[in-house]
Amino acid sequence: MLLITNLQKIFATEEVETTALNGIDLTINDGEFVAIMGPSGCGKSTLLNIIGLLDNPSSGSYNFYGSDVEKMSERQRAQLRKGNVGFVFQSFNLIDELTVFENVELPLLYLKEPIKQRNEMVEATLKRMNMMHRRNHFPQQLSGGQQQRVAIARAVVAKPKLILADEPTGNLDSANGKDVMNLLQELNEEGTTIAMVTHSPYDASYAHRTVNLFDGKIVTENFHV
Amino acid sequence: MLTNYIKIAWRNLRRNRITTLINVVGLALGLCASFLIGLYIWDELSYDRYNVKASQIVRVTLFGSMQGGKINEPHVMPPTAATLVEDYPEVVQATRIRKAGTPVVRIGEKLFADDEMAAVDSNFFQVFTLPLLQGHASTVLNTPFSVVISKRLAAKYFGKENSIGKIIQIKGKANPFKITGVFEGIPSNSHFHFDLLTSMSAMQDAQSMSWMTSEYYTYLVLQQGYDYKKLEAKLPHTVDKYMGPQLQKSLGLTMAEFKGGGNSLVLKLQPLTDIHLRSNFTADIGTNGDIKYVYIFSAVGLFMLLIACINFMNLSTASASKRAKEVGIRKVLGATKEELVGQFLSESALLTFIAMVLASILAVMVLPLFNELSGKEMILDTNFLMAKMPLALLFGLFIGILAGGYPAFFLSSFNPVSILRGRFSTSTKSTGLRSGLVVVQFFISIALLAGTLVVYRQLEFIQNKKLGYEKERVIVLSDTWALGKNQEAFVQALLQDQSVANVSASGYVPAGASFNNNYMVYPDSHSTQLVKTIRYDVDYGYLSTLKMEMASGRYFSKDFGNDSVHVVINETAAHMIGWTSESALGHTISHTNNEGHKRVYTVIGVVKDFHFRSLHESISPLVMQLGGDPGYLIVKAQGDHIAALLSRIENNWNKFKPERPFSFSFLDDRYNATYQSERRTGQILGLFASLTVFVACLGLFGLATFTAEQRVKEIGVRRVLGASVTSVVLLLSRDFVKLVGVGAMLAIPVTWYVMSNWLSDFEYRIDLTPSIFIYSSLLSVLVALITISYQSIRAAIANPVKSLKSE
Repeated sequence: MLLITNLQKIFATEEVETTALNGIDLTINDGEFVAIMGPSGCGKSTLLNIIGLLDNPSSGSYNFYGSDVEKMSERQRAQLRKGNVGFVFQSFNLIDELTVFENVELPLLYLKEPIKQRNEMVEATLKRMNMMHRRNHFPQQLSGGQQQRVAIARAVVAKPKLILADEPTGNLDSANGKDVMNLLQELNEEGTTIAMVTHSPYDASYAHRTVNLFDGKIVTENFHV
Repeated sequence: MLTNYIKIAWRNLRRNRITTLINVVGLALGLCASFLIGLYIWDELSYDRYNVKASQIVRVTLFGSMQGGKINEPHVMPPTAATLVEDYPEVVQATRIRKAGTPVVRIGEKLFADDEMAAVDSNFFQVFTLPLLQGHASTVLNTPFSVVISKRLAAKYFGKENSIGKIIQIKGKANPFKITGVFEGIPSNSHFHFDLLTSMSAMQDAQSMSWMTSEYYTYLVLQQGYDYKKLEAKLPHTVDKYMGPQLQKSLGLTMAEFKGGGNSLVLKLQPLTDIHLRSNFTADIGTNGDIKYVYIFSAVGLFMLLIACINFMNLSTASASKRAKEVGIRKVLGATKEELVGQFLSESALLTFIAMVLASILAVMVLPLFNELSGKEMILDTNFLMAKMPLALLFGLFIGILAGGYPAFFLSSFNPVSILRGRFSTSTKSTGLRSGLVVVQFFISIALLAGTLVVYRQLEFIQNKKLGYEKERVIVLSDTWALGKNQEAFVQALLQDQSVANVSASGYVPAGASFNNNYMVYPDSHSTQLVKTIRYDVDYGYLSTLKMEMASGRYFSKDFGNDSVHVVINETAAHMIGWTSESALGHTISHTNNEGHKRVYTVIGVVKDFHFRSLHESISPLVMQLGGDPGYLIVKAQGDHIAALLSRIENNWNKFKPERPFSFSFLDDRYNATYQSERRTGQILGLFASLTVFVACLGLFGLATFTAEQRVKEIGVRRVLGASVTSVVLLLSRDFVKLVGVGAMLAIPVTWYVMSNWLSDFEYRIDLTPSIFIYSSLLSVLVALITISYQSIRAAIANPVKSLKSE
């Protein structure tokens, strides 16, 4: 379970101070699929980064599966993140110099999985994403939809409890977008918790719950049935 | 994990071909240069260390001054060796070498020449570690008229025949010599080189007890661990004890009177291993190196590497935006900072390794060229390479960390959140550091360029210096004693040739190897006012052959008769004695020889000062006396057909069937050869200066490429708003040129200091003018401008619509 209480995030430069998040209270239960919506600049991505342990809040508390993480160092957060959180981005963020296989393998390398397990896990995941035939291709040789499938494969290969998706369909056409959303739904049905930032009401309809953000505050929460 | 690092490193290197090429080429050149320079320094520092007793051996040298003239000689009096062994128990052994030139050797009917000979004491092979192939170190030189030859010479004289017991005749020696041993040869890293070593035991002069001559290179073996300075401190006593009585006898002076007149003579000791790099004698037993050049070249090698490392740092940090995304993703996927640092370091290690392989191949390839340039005979064989492999790998790793360390920490410290949201920008901090490093690169390049320019200006100065004689079209014929009685007929034939202006029979040649007599004289009857001069034995034609000029009086002439009691002195001699050129005329100078016989000469003329030594030294007092030497003929040619003249002279020579082949040299070549080490320095410095400029410009080109890429949008906007191509090119070039300018400003004082120091070795030298620095700075700015203009112009003329659309 993820438990966020009175969370604040302030970005300060020498001249200006911007409050990105202001008093967020949010609980995400295990196995839940939550969509986060709101206009540009409302703090969606900042919230997602904090949930994903990429960033620390300025104040407030955050309990990540039983650990209080708001005061953790970058190294501690990285340690906790490994294997527990998978990320899917709008721009895929695959490493161009690595093949499909190597991209998916990467999280397992940092988890120091032995080579045999690694190969098995990567192959199983690629098969599931229907990308085995592309295993030795480089990202630029793939279509957008295929790249996002590889990105999802990379996010799930280590079997994380939590997947965070930042506008996963933003760079895709509607057919490929639908494909990706179906994949996420499948993963959720198998028990993975998903938090997704989106602009698309259609994508949000896949979620159990939509959280609407405005100027750094949660303004409404809708539950889908 | 490591395979993953190397895989991605390799792909990255391939993907960014230009950057990789710049880095690899730069590093390979830098490494190659440092390999070669390292080899050079290794060789220079290895001199004489092949001797097992190297740390115990010292050479006795002579220092002092007489009448203001400096004395510094690497050889001492004949009895010094025996006396020091006798008087000081800390001296275990002493051995002497006396150079004997390159005499003609006759074996049966065959004649051989051109091999260096020396007479040595019988314990020579016990002091120096020179393995004997035949003969025993302790006995090989015991008998009079025995000679030991090198393996090379044995092959030259006798082919495959055994040479032991064979008899050779040495020109100028009454007795035949018997070969009693063959030695391996003297290693190239020895401060002396001889192929024939004769026993001193039958040499009259070697047994001399005279403390008034000093022709013997004398080496002492001290007790192990004994500090030679302690012995050195006792040596003044020895000089007083043995030289005093002889001084009294030949000059009528007591030691106290001698010293009271401002004169001094001391024996000093010089460790064997210091001889090659730390000697400063006018003439030594062999050609020495100079520790200064070891320092200069070490610095140059380090600079080359530094510049290449800076390229790597600058290009890595400048292209950081390309790697930022990867860093972000890896961090998101759980990579720690240490893991990323490891990744980037293995990348730079890989690059350095590639560069190192290339550098090694390159070094082996260019070694012959470098040998020619540096005058060395260094070899890079497999054994040496294998032995040095671990050191080289360690060095490569060090360079990899040096070059890759900063970029690794820089790149791995990126914040993944901002990178992945596309808010990546290179901080001004890294831009500042980059600028600083570019300044360092150009500081080094300009300093080396200016240094090279100074060396070449000085060489040009040497070339064009008015020497007080004419060195052009002067042919020096050697070994003319071989003509014997026919010399006069030969000279007459020469003088009848249309192309010959003058001929002089004298072995005193003002440039290159020459006879050189120290000559102690005193003016009028002031026997305490000793002046150390050089004596030139000349003939009537000497002055006109070399086109020297008289300051006053007259030169020797057949018209006056009895000129053998007259001398001509140079201006410096006159001034040192206290005369002017005019007042000197009619005064006398006296010389007392070793046997105590005094001769008095009247000064009939003063010759204008001419440079008879290298420009490193000031002109010293010189006395000319009649008495040409039959060893050499100096021929002044006229007209343009020198080659034809030479073949006529040779034909003429052969008519007399002399025992030696015709051999000659041009006086200006001999002169230039004197400055060979300076010329080499100039060439090596020039080569490395161009290389550093090239590598620095490679880096600049890479940086300009990135800058143009980064500012592509700005350029687009400016162009849309009406900026001209020229103004955009200027905009992009201005910053770089500024950096080069700052580098130049910093280089000026450093070069000024270092090169003043180098020039101070020359008694006659150029002034350091601002033009040297202006030229080298302008040159580097120009080269830098050309380098970056390609990228700037390309960026400026690109269609702005394209660059704006891509945003």
